[in-house]
Amino acid sequence: MSHRGGMDDEDDDDDYEEQVADFDEEEVDEEEEDRSGGKKRRRSSFIDDDAEEVDEDDEEEEEDDYEDEDYGGKSSRKRQKSKKGSASNFFDIEAAVDSDEEEEEEEGDDDFIVETGSDLPYDDDNRGRARHRLPPHQEDHEDLEAMARSIQERYGKQRMADYDEETTDVEQQALLPSVRDPKLWMVKCAIGRERETAVCLMQKYIDKGSELQIRSAIALDHLKNYIYVEADKEAHVREACKGLRNIFGQKITLVPIREMTDVLSVESKAIDLARGTWVRMKIGTYKGDLAKVVDVDNVRQRVTVKLIPRIDLQALANKLEGREVVKKKAFVPPPRFMNVDEARELHIRVEHRRDAYGERFEAFGGMMFKDGFLYKTVSIKSISAQSIKPTFDELEKFRKPGESGDGDVASLSTLFANRKKGHFMKGDAVIVIKGDLKNLKGWVEKVDEDNVHIRPEIKDLPKTLAVNEKELVKYFEPGNHVKVVTGAQEGATGMVVKVEQHVLILISDTTKEHIRVFADDVVESSEVTTGVTRIGDYELRDLVLLDNLSFGVIIRVESEAFQVLKGVPDRPEVVLVKLREIKCKIEKKISVQDRFKNTISSKDVVKIIDGPCRGKQGPVEHIYRGILFIFDRHHLEHAGFICVKAHSCVVVGGSRSNGDRNGDAHTRFNGLRTPSRIPQSPSRVPRGRPSSDSGGRHRGGRGHDGLTGATVKVRQGSYKGYRGRVIEVKGTSVRVELESQMKVVTVDRNHITDNIAVTPQRETSRYGMGSETPMHPSRTPLHPYMTPMRDPGATPIHDGMRTPMRDRAWNPYAPMSPPRDNWEDGNPGSWGASPQYQPGSPPSRPYEAPTPGAGWASTPGGNYSEAGTPRDSSAYANAPSPYLPSTPGQPMTPNSASYLPGTPGGQPMTPGTGGLDMMSPVLGGDTEGPWFMPDILVNVHRAGDESVGVIKEVLPDGSYKVGLGSSGNGETITALPAEMEAVVPRKSDKIKIMGGALRGSTGKLIGVDGTDGIVKVDDTLDVKILDLVILAKLAQS
Amino acid sequence: MQLHPRYFGRNLRDNLVSKLMKDVEGTCSGRHGFVVAVTGIENIGKGLIRDGTGFVTFPVKYQCVVFRPFKGEILEAVVTMVNKMGFFAEAGPVQIFVSNHLIPDDMEFQSGDMPNYTTSDGSVKIQKDSEVRLKIIGTRVDATEIFCIGTIKDDFLGVINDPTTV
Repeated sequence: MSHRGGMDDEDDDDDYEEQVADFDEEEVDEEEEDRSGGKKRRRSSFIDDDAEEVDEDDEEEEEDDYEDEDYGGKSSRKRQKSKKGSASNFFDIEAAVDSDEEEEEEEGDDDFIVETGSDLPYDDDNRGRARHRLPPHQEDHEDLEAMARSIQERYGKQRMADYDEETTDVEQQALLPSVRDPKLWMVKCAIGRERETAVCLMQKYIDKGSELQIRSAIALDHLKNYIYVEADKEAHVREACKGLRNIFGQKITLVPIREMTDVLSVESKAIDLARGTWVRMKIGTYKGDLAKVVDVDNVRQRVTVKLIPRIDLQALANKLEGREVVKKKAFVPPPRFMNVDEARELHIRVEHRRDAYGERFEAFGGMMFKDGFLYKTVSIKSISAQSIKPTFDELEKFRKPGESGDGDVASLSTLFANRKKGHFMKGDAVIVIKGDLKNLKGWVEKVDEDNVHIRPEIKDLPKTLAVNEKELVKYFEPGNHVKVVTGAQEGATGMVVKVEQHVLILISDTTKEHIRVFADDVVESSEVTTGVTRIGDYELRDLVLLDNLSFGVIIRVESEAFQVLKGVPDRPEVVLVKLREIKCKIEKKISVQDRFKNTISSKDVVKIIDGPCRGKQGPVEHIYRGILFIFDRHHLEHAGFICVKAHSCVVVGGSRSNGDRNGDAHTRFNGLRTPSRIPQSPSRVPRGRPSSDSGGRHRGGRGHDGLTGATVKVRQGSYKGYRGRVIEVKGTSVRVELESQMKVVTVDRNHITDNIAVTPQRETSRYGMGSETPMHPSRTPLHPYMTPMRDPGATPIHDGMRTPMRDRAWNPYAPMSPPRDNWEDGNPGSWGASPQYQPGSPPSRPYEAPTPGAGWASTPGGNYSEAGTPRDSSAYANAPSPYLPSTPGQPMTPNSASYLPGTPGGQPMTPGTGGLDMMSPVLGGDTEGPWFMPDILVNVHRAGDESVGVIKEVLPDGSYKVGLGSSGNGETITALPAEMEAVVPRKSDKIKIMGGALRGSTGKLIGVDGTDGIVKVDDTLDVKILDLVILAKLAQS
Repeated sequence: MQLHPRYFGRNLRDNLVSKLMKDVEGTCSGRHGFVVAVTGIENIGKGLIRDGTGFVTFPVKYQCVVFRPFKGEILEAVVTMVNKMGFFAEAGPVQIFVSNHLIPDDMEFQSGDMPNYTTSDGSVKIQKDSEVRLKIIGTRVDATEIFCIGTIKDDFLGVINDPTTV
């Protein structure tokens, strides 16, 4: 039966079915019936002389030239043909015509089953055959009139039958073969000789007459290797096949009764072309175009469709005027609505016609137009009506001349046609759109073949209603989160903002743009996807080099192409590129300079100060050829990417505004500089400072490019594969301390990759920071810059640690207000990124920052103020000198002097560290020495005597103006930090926080826990646990 | 809750609490919404030492105030951005988008320096920093973010405070 299965499939796509020979004993019986005349004649025709002769020839051939025959089916057959002359021709013709005829009949009769075994279908088969056979017979046949009469009878009857008894299902059923009917046997024959075999069988039948007990032989064009033989018994088939050269093996299979009809039935492709259906043109100028069926002529197999014309009016005019038309190859005019006036202008005669329905048309050049559409009558075969999915654009176009509702309904019908099985699922919200129940909402309970059982929304209705699938569409409400499952936007997710009949408007999750989709195309989903995010090697947000040497960032991945925001500054230029148009991904890590020559490397937060996007700010995603791609999550266009020149940006914190406000006083910037406990990105470390000044102190070109301190991997050379920390950058080479071997090696800069996982480094730093022993390995000279920073406030060096604080003194504003305030005003941009300075900001703020890594990395810039600006650098370089001599603390920490300037960079937090160490803000707070601040109560030890005082002002040289007395009303003296000690607050004292994230905040000490104080911060009323060391008693005012 | 060994000691608990606050407040979980403030600690379980790192993980049960917008909720929000597709507004940590389909039809988008939506008679104007009352019609909850879609196309919804008139 496996054959049968395969054949069934073929059956479906092949209308051609052929019955080559049909010789039946029952003809005798039929003779008794009216229509037997044709049969008889037909039979006699088989036995005409010619045929007989040929038969003899044939037989002879078969017997004598057996081997001769065997060399190839085709040639032998041809030979036969030519030899046989008229007879074989006759067979062929018959066969050919026959098949046509049958096909037509069957198409007409829908799925009328041709059943060779039973009586009734016979006339169907034979009618056609007989008719066509007639002409050749006529010559032989003497009784033309009888024939004519019999034909009359036959057809008359047929027609009667056709009209009188419209075939009903029951009748059809009656025609099906039953157990009493002859069976169909499948016989294996030589491939390619199916027809021949059948013909042979026929011939044999003709020769042997009723000896042969088979009833018919069928060769199907689409079935190779087998023919069907109809007979009552297998033995009959064997008998008939005996001696046939093309039948070998005795494999005869019975076709089960049920499948017999399938053998000979043709899957009718019922093209259901209704008016208003969307179709596509298959050929011609309009190939692929969407068209709408306006009229169907089933008889002539023609349809009238409505198209958007693609007419080159000029060419048409030329043609009509008889001018030579230049044949442009492969030029298809774009679809455009026809404007009759335009045509008139070109002197094309426009006629007005009415069609059969009385509709008015404008006609010219043999074409009919209405409302700008072209009405074209084409053959049904030249359009395809299957699975047409009009896109929105196309529908929109079709809807042009103000017929809104109509277009929708029409497209609906097409949508239904394209629905897949299992379109509705249990639980889907649906709405009825047709019939009495229109607008009834409900939920799908069960899905049958065509009917969907829904549970209606309205109460008083039956529990479930069966509704035809075609009357339902999915229903969504604004606010639903959906996913597009088919169509152009496939894969996108979004929230429904509006429902317009069966069209939804979504707001995409990724692009925040509106998408219009059909309700049918979406399913409810909580999933959030971006759709596709990569094709090939390229992913969303990648910087790519394009064909024409331009470059850009992929901002959207579509089904086959990318949207790329090109690297053209100041003017967003988006191009759609195909995969092959992309040359490569650019993954270089480059750093550039901003307007103030600060180094920008990727992930730095920059602010745009020029151009159309001025004011925007965000982390740098890519840098290439001096152009930055900045990602601003508040920027809605282009997936948040902004393309700017590096020169139009400042690294946030480079805060120009601040500088402007403060005038040019370098010292002030310096003053603003915080004690650099902020993890300082080396890239921010001022560079370009005169080497004579900095000397070795600055550890060679450290911070040259954000590399120092970064964990890198050597990718070339003898140390390939090693990882290590960069401790120095010297020109084109870097000195890397290998992780695995305790040694420092020098490798070429180009031989390393940075930006590898930095966890190990982080750990080091953590331990380093946490460690209280100065002897900790992490403080080996290899990381000298860490040393001072690691010191908790209590170590002797801590005085030295205060030094930067003294810088504050230079800030004239300092006494009045915490220096922070300056930043706050001048530099709001930096705030988000430096939350730990924000008084009262919840400690969790840093984590809120969208890109903690970047934010963190940028922080230093912000707090550090002008650290990166050249002028600041010089000031910075000078910074140590003025106060060094005056700092008694310094001699105690001989190395601090040299380290201090570098301290900012000392934090091993490089931009590469990226991810913010959760602990670091705390650590920062803890390691911070207590920097004295105005308004706090201190004990001044001086020349042996001890007195209480209140810090009034921080002087630029690092010393403090202290008003003696508990309220600071007494004599004002100048004291050095080393001479002072903050008064340790006691429970319920008002305090000021001198370090940590809350530095500068005031609060109340509500409890003491060992070395920690529990502080209620005034601003936020938060309760914090802080080290007592950084708390100072606030002077009563 | 992971804690560095450095913090072990007498005030371990306090450290834990402060770290919890730091870590949790201001975050957003899909299930509960935004954590506004930790109000109390129910209990702190036994710590589990992580191999290799020395960090200790403590299970901490806490109570907190959360903010989670629901469908149908009426909120007052500040407009942060206006574009042709609608406007974005923020209500605390939640960003809400109001599509132009959900803005009353009589309000038209006016582009320009200060893009806004204005009624035909110009009496009502939605622009940046306006305060609007809106109804949430849909929420999308990510792991770290809640995004809402709102409408002002309903009775009693719309601008409640216009910065320009104040």
